[in-house]
Amino acid sequence: MIARKKVRVWDLPTRLFHWLLVMAFVLAWVTHGESRHLDVHVISGYTFFALLIFRLVWGVVGSHYARFSEFSYTPKELFSYLRSLSGNGVKHYIGHNPAGAWAIFVLLTLGLLLAISGVIVLGGEEQQGILAGYVSFDQSAPFSALHETVAWAMVVLIVIHICGVIVESVLHRENLVGAMFRGSKWVAGSSAQIPAHQLVASVIFISVIAWGGLSLNTYLAATDEHPYQPFKGPALAMNELWNEECGACHLAFHPSLLPARSWQYLFEQQDHHFQEELMLDDETLNELLQYALNNSAEQKKTEAAWKINRAIGRDERPLRITAVSYWKDKHSTIPDITWQQESVQSKANCGACHYDAEQGTFQDAAMRIPNE
Amino acid sequence: MNKIILIIIVSVSSSLINGQVNAGGVETLQSTYLEQGAGPFSASAGETMWRKQYLDKKSGKQRSCQTCHGRDLTKAGKHVRTGKVIEPLAPSANSERLTKVKFIKKWLKRNCKWTIGRECSAQEKGNFLAYLKGL
Repeated sequence: MIARKKVRVWDLPTRLFHWLLVMAFVLAWVTHGESRHLDVHVISGYTFFALLIFRLVWGVVGSHYARFSEFSYTPKELFSYLRSLSGNGVKHYIGHNPAGAWAIFVLLTLGLLLAISGVIVLGGEEQQGILAGYVSFDQSAPFSALHETVAWAMVVLIVIHICGVIVESVLHRENLVGAMFRGSKWVAGSSAQIPAHQLVASVIFISVIAWGGLSLNTYLAATDEHPYQPFKGPALAMNELWNEECGACHLAFHPSLLPARSWQYLFEQQDHHFQEELMLDDETLNELLQYALNNSAEQKKTEAAWKINRAIGRDERPLRITAVSYWKDKHSTIPDITWQQESVQSKANCGACHYDAEQGTFQDAAMRIPNE
Repeated sequence: MNKIILIIIVSVSSSLINGQVNAGGVETLQSTYLEQGAGPFSASAGETMWRKQYLDKKSGKQRSCQTCHGRDLTKAGKHVRTGKVIEPLAPSANSERLTKVKFIKKWLKRNCKWTIGRECSAQEKGNFLAYLKGL
């Protein structure tokens, strides 16, 4: 019987990285489809990105078993290890085994692709984040598909990784999950002594908590009158006459919500504007029309403008924003009872749910359905 | 907030330049109506017409000024079709009311047509203003 002793294998920063990355990924995954939680998705995404960058650095300067050089195996080594799993002579590795090591490198690569594509989509589709203004909607579209595909690929790989951990744990009668918490393993023979690196770990821990707290504490300050608006869109061109004339009877729908041909058509029939007679004088009419044409959906200033413009056929010129297929799709899951609420009443009452309806920006996360 | 302050400053300063400080809009318009041969103006006639119901042939529904402005003019009304809030019309509750000639002319014209189905006469408009300015 060879004497076995308990030694530290995973330093504290590596373990912290692992579990924080898990949390960041899970949080981003559960908030991904829901527009109003985009802020949480983005905050966890940035955290995920920062953690990955830390791991790249730690893979070079970290302690022995955390270094990439310690677990870079050739594909040949990987396959011979995988083949050996079915037999009895499975080689035991103190650090990462070749399968785990490959999973890490692929996960790190996918993670970086995921984070980078996410930042590009955020900059393009939402015009937010560090790339806001540098990426157009059209440019970001393929990255949106990439972001989704990579996320799914990561899920698949995570499942494989978990299966691998279970198989390894059984084969070697060793609790690998526990080791990723405690950091220590029972090792036969000699092993490199590694420090815990508590200081580095503390810095990571405090940074993540502080960043999360700073990012989300605005929720606490929000009131019903001044709800928290996590993302503010680019300031769109405003027109006082437009707000006064249109806003007298209904929300002054921003011109970016319909294409120029719709506005042209709308003002051509000002004597039966949704069965009302507008009686605008020529001067007023011209100014309103000019403003509408200069700021129509084709200018693609917001995500809504871009998607509305994309959804309308070249030969169509809808007068109602609610007639556009994009609008219908976006609102299809809202039950009738929500529309009938006292505070909503009409599908034209965008401001009942969208905080930034008057500004015309219609940011994903600036939306709350009342009494939900 | 800044925008509101700006609007107030602009509207106050522009009304000073035009020589119309508050409520001046009513006098200016009423004197125009007088020149057109109307007058004297009766607040009670204005009030009667304000409350009267008119049948809209297209929709088959009764309409009055109260349909949108509500029964109490010191309180906000609500646009009957869109639900958009209409600020109180009574000058005692909303000092911006009845101050801008162009604004009053536009809405008297548009709303007479919507409610009654025709434009109002100079006499009728003068009566409305006589009623409203006392609120």
